[in-house]
Amino acid sequence: MTDLQWARISSDAFNATLFAYLAAMVGYFAYLAFRREWLWKASRAVAYAGLAANIVSIVARGFAANRVPWGNMYEYSVMLAMLVVAGYLIIVEGMYKVRTLGGFALMFSVLTMAVAVSFLYVGPGPLVPALNSYWIKIHVQAAIWGSSLFALGGIVTILYLVQDWRERRQVEALRGSGPPPIMGGALDLDLNAPDDLDRDVDEVPVAATAPRASRLPSAQTLDRVAYRIIAFAFPIWTFAVIAGAIWAQEAWGRYWGWDPKETWSFITWTIFAGYLHARATSGWKGRRAAVIALVGFVSLLVTYYVVNLWIVGLHSYAK
Amino acid sequence: MSTNRLTLRQSVALVWRTLRSMRTALILLLLLALASVAGSLIPQWPNSPERVAEYQLDHGLWGQFLDRAGLFDVFGSWWFVLITVLLFVSLVACLIPRTRALIRALRARPVQAREIDAFRHYGERTVAAPPSKALDGSARVLRRRFFRVARDPARPALAAEKGVLRELGSLLFHWAFILILVGVVFGKGTGFSGYAVVVEGDTWIDAAANYDGQIRTGRFFDGDFTGTGLRLREFESRFRETGQAMDFVSSVDVLNPDGSVIRQQDIRVNHPADVNGIRFYQINFGWAPVLTVRDADGVAFDDAVVMDRDPAPEGVPEFAMPWRGVIKLPGAGGTTFAGGNDLAIELELWPDSAGLANFLQTGQPTVMLRASNAVIRYTVWQGKLTSLATNRLDTSFMEETGRGLVGEERTDEIDSGGLDMTLGFPELRQYSVFQVSRDAGVPIVLLAAILILVGLLPALYTSRRKVWVRAEPSGDGAVLKVGGFALQRKPQFEDEFDRLLEALAAEAGGEASEPPPTNGQPTEEQQEVQTR
Repeated sequence: MTDLQWARISSDAFNATLFAYLAAMVGYFAYLAFRREWLWKASRAVAYAGLAANIVSIVARGFAANRVPWGNMYEYSVMLAMLVVAGYLIIVEGMYKVRTLGGFALMFSVLTMAVAVSFLYVGPGPLVPALNSYWIKIHVQAAIWGSSLFALGGIVTILYLVQDWRERRQVEALRGSGPPPIMGGALDLDLNAPDDLDRDVDEVPVAATAPRASRLPSAQTLDRVAYRIIAFAFPIWTFAVIAGAIWAQEAWGRYWGWDPKETWSFITWTIFAGYLHARATSGWKGRRAAVIALVGFVSLLVTYYVVNLWIVGLHSYAK
Repeated sequence: MSTNRLTLRQSVALVWRTLRSMRTALILLLLLALASVAGSLIPQWPNSPERVAEYQLDHGLWGQFLDRAGLFDVFGSWWFVLITVLLFVSLVACLIPRTRALIRALRARPVQAREIDAFRHYGERTVAAPPSKALDGSARVLRRRFFRVARDPARPALAAEKGVLRELGSLLFHWAFILILVGVVFGKGTGFSGYAVVVEGDTWIDAAANYDGQIRTGRFFDGDFTGTGLRLREFESRFRETGQAMDFVSSVDVLNPDGSVIRQQDIRVNHPADVNGIRFYQINFGWAPVLTVRDADGVAFDDAVVMDRDPAPEGVPEFAMPWRGVIKLPGAGGTTFAGGNDLAIELELWPDSAGLANFLQTGQPTVMLRASNAVIRYTVWQGKLTSLATNRLDTSFMEETGRGLVGEERTDEIDSGGLDMTLGFPELRQYSVFQVSRDAGVPIVLLAAILILVGLLPALYTSRRKVWVRAEPSGDGAVLKVGGFALQRKPQFEDEFDRLLEALAAEAGGEASEPPPTNGQPTEEQQEVQTR
């Protein structure tokens, strides 16, 4: 097949991916609202189909350009979207059996891909000399994996904060209305309880007894899932920064020069390091730590979009 | 006096206590991040001096304020260094007691428990073996699973624990940052980084003067330049039809201080040359036309002129811009103009004559990726030179006395302003710019980075677990009472504890009472447990 045919396949697969993710997103949100088992099954199937198309799009792009398919922001975005969806399906649904967050993860991927195709698209072409190194395979891959997991952790953190706020409000509502029940809801409201509930993650003890049933998993579950994902991402991100420093030493003659990209990947690293420490510090657990993770998520987006597009630096070629 | 000393000691203790707390370290870490944000949003002097100058011009008073506050050099400012130093002091203050505690914990034997059934996880199994034998078996099982085991001397009981790796990894991770600091200070302190500009055919020698001031040396740099030579045989830049750069290659001979060739090598982006502890990186390139100026007395100038490209305005590709240079000839002007008899020839090179032609006809820029019939437009100035520095001409004491144009391999006559000269352009060469640096700290920093990763994994993914076993006589056999808990990753420990309990029971002969073991053959269920 010629490069042109591969390019064609890649962009067709991209469109199919976007369409599938969009459909799966709607399906997952519908599942969240109506809780019909078939809705979840159908959405998951469509999400997997989208994932397959996404992978086809990436591989075909690599054949079209005759190089690794992560050499510019468009390609990076497509890969990021793929890994966020894969991460959601494997980690959140597979390992933690939480099924209700699909809409949010897919929404992130849909937005990422939409931005990529509207603003960042470039045709498949060769790499600029600075990127022509085997380190692109190591550094950029680690950065994409780290980013996608941080992003997934960030999404779960946002939902945690929402759920935490709702649970708090329900606690207050319960406290406000008459004498506390002797048994039932109020006994489960200890927010500092050990993570016993994690086993049945889809059960929602607090909200189940409350007047308006919550459709999201409990705040505690969300907190734990978010923590696990971020703790998984952190070493990968650390490795990405180190690999970047080694590459910088090869390409620019210094391992660290406070270039905007270096600076922001350091900022992101620092914030998530702060998050991990905060979780181990009494008084910072829960909401406060989650706010730090949220700041880290924003910092990640800055590291990717703002630094590449608006701040002049050595990584400007990544457009 | 004595109360005064006490207050001093108290305040030192207070500062130390504050620094030791994780909260302080956290806040300092986030402050460092915040300072870095400022450093990335405001142009930084070490990275892009020209953008700082532009910013200052545009922002007036605000620019002055930023300058005073050191915000144009955040990462070199005193307050950034202060935050970093405080963070490291805080880190050490946290690490020393933790390291001591770890050493103590490593030396100490696991502590026996009094109430075994009060632990989070608890189970009992009746086994066939008598208490002491059952306990021997339990110790074996636990050791096989990398638990540290301590027998109770008073009764058939044991305490076991596992997961020192978590704290060990965490400490390794944190201490490695101190090692990074050591590597950075050592490397930057004793090293240097500068730029070498070499024209094709020329040889550049690693010596203080040859950096033309474009060098930054560390505080403890010994001033020992190696004398290593670099002869640029040829520079080649390759572009695609689209104008996208493909490759920049400098073919060089690397020379010993005595001039003998060490080796021939290509230096390209991502492929530096490593010689005598210094490294050469391909950074930039440009045009250097060879020019000859002859007057009545003979040859006044014969050299390659290193040219700078005009900065491209918004929307114009940089390779569409002409290149500029200047030849300065003090005392060569003959007649006196404006109080001096110096001569300067300002040069404007168009590497591709089509670029100039197109510009003159249409006013549109044309990208000039390759040289083709290069042409130089020049302006002759006479008067007084204020500086002999290359590539900058101050014409405030000079008068323009002529203009002309000379093509490659041509010679042009300069006869205006009472001059009788020729300007020859025999050859167009290229120059290559190398970053030259010495940083002996790199291996230390690399080692620290590896230690950070090595420490991080167990620090995040392992957990400390404690288990106690007690064997009490029961009929012919014993009852194994097992308790335990995990300090981290508690949900995972639940399964692990169940499996451990089965393994301990199996080792001691399994369920003794019902059904009785048949000829010592383990039951199917036990076999499954053992093979797991």
